[in-house]
Amino acid sequence: MSNPSTGASSKSKLGSSQPSETSFKRKRGVFQKDLQHMMYGFGDDPNPLPETVALVEDIVVEYVTDLAHKAQDIGSKRGKLSVEDFLYLIRKDLPKLNRCTELLSMQEELKQARKAFEVDEEKLGTLE
Amino acid sequence: MKQSKDPFEAALEEQEESPPDSPVGEDELNSQTPNEAQNQTDGGQNILVDDDDDDYDDLGPTIKNPSHPSSSSTPKLHSTSVNASVAAAVINKNKEYDDDEEEENVDVELSKFPSSADPTKMAKMQAILSQFTEDQMSRYESFRRSALQKSNMRRLLVSITGSQKISLPMTIVVCGIAKMFVGELVEKARMVMTERKESGPIRPCHIREAYRRLKLEGKVPKRSVQRLFR
Repeated sequence: MSNPSTGASSKSKLGSSQPSETSFKRKRGVFQKDLQHMMYGFGDDPNPLPETVALVEDIVVEYVTDLAHKAQDIGSKRGKLSVEDFLYLIRKDLPKLNRCTELLSMQEELKQARKAFEVDEEKLGTLE
Repeated sequence: MKQSKDPFEAALEEQEESPPDSPVGEDELNSQTPNEAQNQTDGGQNILVDDDDDDYDDLGPTIKNPSHPSSSSTPKLHSTSVNASVAAAVINKNKEYDDDEEEENVDVELSKFPSSADPTKMAKMQAILSQFTEDQMSRYESFRRSALQKSNMRRLLVSITGSQKISLPMTIVVCGIAKMFVGELVEKARMVMTERKESGPIRPCHIREAYRRLKLEGKVPKRSVQRLFR
């Protein structure tokens, strides 16, 4: 399987120090536990069928792979891969785009809050 | 700073934003006994620290902590207090949660409402949530709290792109996109099932049909290069 746009496929990886991490040989059940809860949340049975979960995992991995490859194609023009590339790819899908901007802004907010919290912790420490 | 936070969404995002080395972020859906023990044995300041992690995960804190010092200083605690207030109502309705962290000690400050949050939206959510049955509540909770693990996603992205520099926002965004994609798949599969007048757990054939329809709608990115040999 060759992919001209990137040198590495999802099955093999070169130039990394940890062979177990790099050879992402599509291990079964990477997302399985989380997917079961997620599928129940979205409308499936409380115990989804294992073959369904495996299929959904395959589809999701393929989706993320395609998305990442496309983002890389876009990002390579700019130099490196960034979040903007992913946001550009989902620009047509409004629910996803809104959700992602929301997640990013929440993350910023939490970062600020954490920083402020650490400062307060110090103050509390000195007070006591 | 965006202030229009749905308290449950705040809880969900806080859960997603827990620092990478925090054990709570990864074990979000698994048993939380180490955290529970940590919470119950620590007092005072330590509970303040644990609140960080727990508030990221909890849909709602349950137990008031009267010895909690000035917690009004940080905006984050504001949002968690909102979580507390809404979740207090939630927990009255449904005592059986899959996750142990629902019973954890987290500080509850019912008096502090973030005034800048969308009050009508919050009120609507409160009204709807108060009428949920047990089944609906547990499903909603699964919906809010489930997430793909950031570490696994990061590993996947690294192996796809070949670059080690995958930033945290990127991981978060991709996890969010993937979760919504799963939602689209499952919902469409349910639609397919009602069309075929079938019931029970979703079967792979429904998912495949749903995937095919999503492809026709153009919601699935098409491969520029054909994947010939899997």
